Amino acid sequence: MKTPTVRFHAASGVANDESTVQKEIVIVGLNHRSAPIEVRESVAFENSDLRDALARLRSFPSIQEGVILSTCNRVEVVAAVADSPAASSDITVFLNEQKARRSPGALDEHVYSYQGVDAVRHLFRVAASLDSMVVGEPQILGQLKEYYDAAQQAGTVGTILHRLFHRSFSVAKRVRTETGIGSGAVSVSSVAVDLAKRIFDRFDDKTVMLIGAGKMGDLMARHLQGHGVRSLMVTNRSFDRAVELAERIQGSPIRFEDFPQYLKMADLVIGCTGAPEVLVDAAQVDKVLRERKHRPMFFIDISDRRNFDAKINDLDNVYLYNIDDLKSVADENLQGRANQADKAESIVQDEVQSFIRWVGSLEQVPTITALRQRFDEIRRRELEKSLGGGLKELTAQQRGSLEDMTTAMINKMLHEPISQLKSNSEDQGEALLYVAALKKLFGLEGK
Amino acid sequence: MEALLVKLIAVIYLLAAAGYFYFVFRRDTTSRLPALALLIGFLLHTAVLMARFITEGFAGVALMGEALLFKSWLMVGLYLSIQLKYRLTVLGGIIAPLAFLMCLAAFAYDRTGAEIPPGLESAWLPVHVTLAFLGNAVFALAFGVSLIYLLQERHLKHKKMTALMKRFPSLESLDHLNYVLLVWGFPLMTLGILTGSIWAGIHWGYYWSWEPRQIASGIAWLFYGMILHGRITAGLRGKKAALLTMFGFCVVLGYFLWGDTIFPSRHGGRFQ
Repeated sequence: MKTPTVRFHAASGVANDESTVQKEIVIVGLNHRSAPIEVRESVAFENSDLRDALARLRSFPSIQEGVILSTCNRVEVVAAVADSPAASSDITVFLNEQKARRSPGALDEHVYSYQGVDAVRHLFRVAASLDSMVVGEPQILGQLKEYYDAAQQAGTVGTILHRLFHRSFSVAKRVRTETGIGSGAVSVSSVAVDLAKRIFDRFDDKTVMLIGAGKMGDLMARHLQGHGVRSLMVTNRSFDRAVELAERIQGSPIRFEDFPQYLKMADLVIGCTGAPEVLVDAAQVDKVLRERKHRPMFFIDISDRRNFDAKINDLDNVYLYNIDDLKSVADENLQGRANQADKAESIVQDEVQSFIRWVGSLEQVPTITALRQRFDEIRRRELEKSLGGGLKELTAQQRGSLEDMTTAMINKMLHEPISQLKSNSEDQGEALLYVAALKKLFGLEGK
Repeated sequence: MEALLVKLIAVIYLLAAAGYFYFVFRRDTTSRLPALALLIGFLLHTAVLMARFITEGFAGVALMGEALLFKSWLMVGLYLSIQLKYRLTVLGGIIAPLAFLMCLAAFAYDRTGAEIPPGLESAWLPVHVTLAFLGNAVFALAFGVSLIYLLQERHLKHKKMTALMKRFPSLESLDHLNYVLLVWGFPLMTLGILTGSIWAGIHWGYYWSWEPRQIASGIAWLFYGMILHGRITAGLRGKKAALLTMFGFCVVLGYFLWGDTIFPSRHGGRFQ
């Protein structure tokens, strides 16, 4: 099926543009699916280089506006261009030059390119996190905004990309609110925090005990801190390690022999040691619960071997999740996101169509205005002539009536053609044809 | 005319209930519509009760059918007031259907021209009945809260995270609310029983007559008292407390619905 081309007329904000140059959108780049990480890294743009890179990009005559996007999962150039094929190859050259600085070799087999409607759809999908490694991830939108801002400051953004990017931001927002694509934790840490939120109402009055110095445990403790936990206890077989970790995360170190006595103060207990034997058993927890007057406890076991006795989960007011449990919840949520992705894709499709229509309608505005102005000019000139000549005996009131009549006449004559023009925005091709015809027939060119 | 209104109220509550269920199971909806429906139903409910009160006085709430109307009104009113402080939209999914059933039953029950037998007209009647019913309404809400607690607890224990759970408040806040409801409900119930006994003493001469109704209320009172005591001193909370609370309410509810048929007495629907 032939992809319809999308052309934009633009009263461009960029200084040396002709205002009626037809432009298309082109996206060229590579992502985590088309290129391995080494290749992506070799093309990546540093933030410090960005301004220069954008200037270099603009220096290609085929490229009128450009934004460079460079994250760990994709490097893409979004551009508004006059000649799509030429621009595509220019951008490929541009990216190859970037790569050549770091390592030899061509990119061609890794690079993809989109034009017109496909480019619009691609950008919307990227913004909505549908093209991300983890569908539904929230970072991509922020990243997109950052790189857009950088390009704007460097002066390489004109009205086309301005409209395109702003629309992509609102599409992303729409997808997030109307689908569950970003919901449900998909990392072990966030699953644990989510579960903790089901159990505890607030975190700022809760205490976390971290047993062991594993990286995962550290991460989880920080995650919980990020959600308001202020009180942390850290214990480890090696007291020095415990002190070190405690300092890093602003917790209190506890000697390993002593930790059972402190259990009653802990609402959340994270186990991440490599110990082969069980550190806390069910009988212990039963006793601790009594001492705590049965205030609930959440045990998170993320060690490779079981740190906590599985029977702990059988007790009332205690909840025990190990790493397999957390992973399976994460997997379920990932599946849920995939299901929502279909809904998101159809929203994106809708938005692409409506964007095309909207841009098409914008094209009409200058032409319609010019047409009205032309008619009004003629009206006024003729009216002046008559009022100065054959009709100069008229009273002020009669002049007023004449003014009204001629204006009404013009409006009524223009009403039908203009509403026909507006109602034709469904088919952009036809609409542009009419706009072009009007311009030609009424000599509105150059307005 | 009034019968029609009661039916309308029941239908509105049913719609609210449906709205709440839809809200609980779908992600892209708000709970504003069912909450609004509940509020509208409640306002209409208030109007009907007020009209009833003006024309028939307190007799309008003493007999079986009317009692259900009054109780359901208290329950919905209480839920709406609690909503101002605690966001418990999910509880609406329990209260609304309960209110619907109660109004439907109110409509269905035989209501001959209600008249309080002479001699029973005293200030004690409205005081006792209102306090007792209010206590019941509080425990009805506690029942709902406990139910939600148990559902959430079950999901967590069995390691099933469903989207449904996101709609539920946390276990800690549910448990706390249960406690608050108990702290309010118990004194209300106590006062309800006390005023009832005092009134009986004044009217019939003896405060306690080992009537089934009084016995049942006494049992429920002891039960809730036990739970409250357990909560305060022995750390009775969470699943056990929720189960006991639900059971306590079932006793109250059971007696209210069938007690008079199984144990006819001076109390309840027939004043002799």
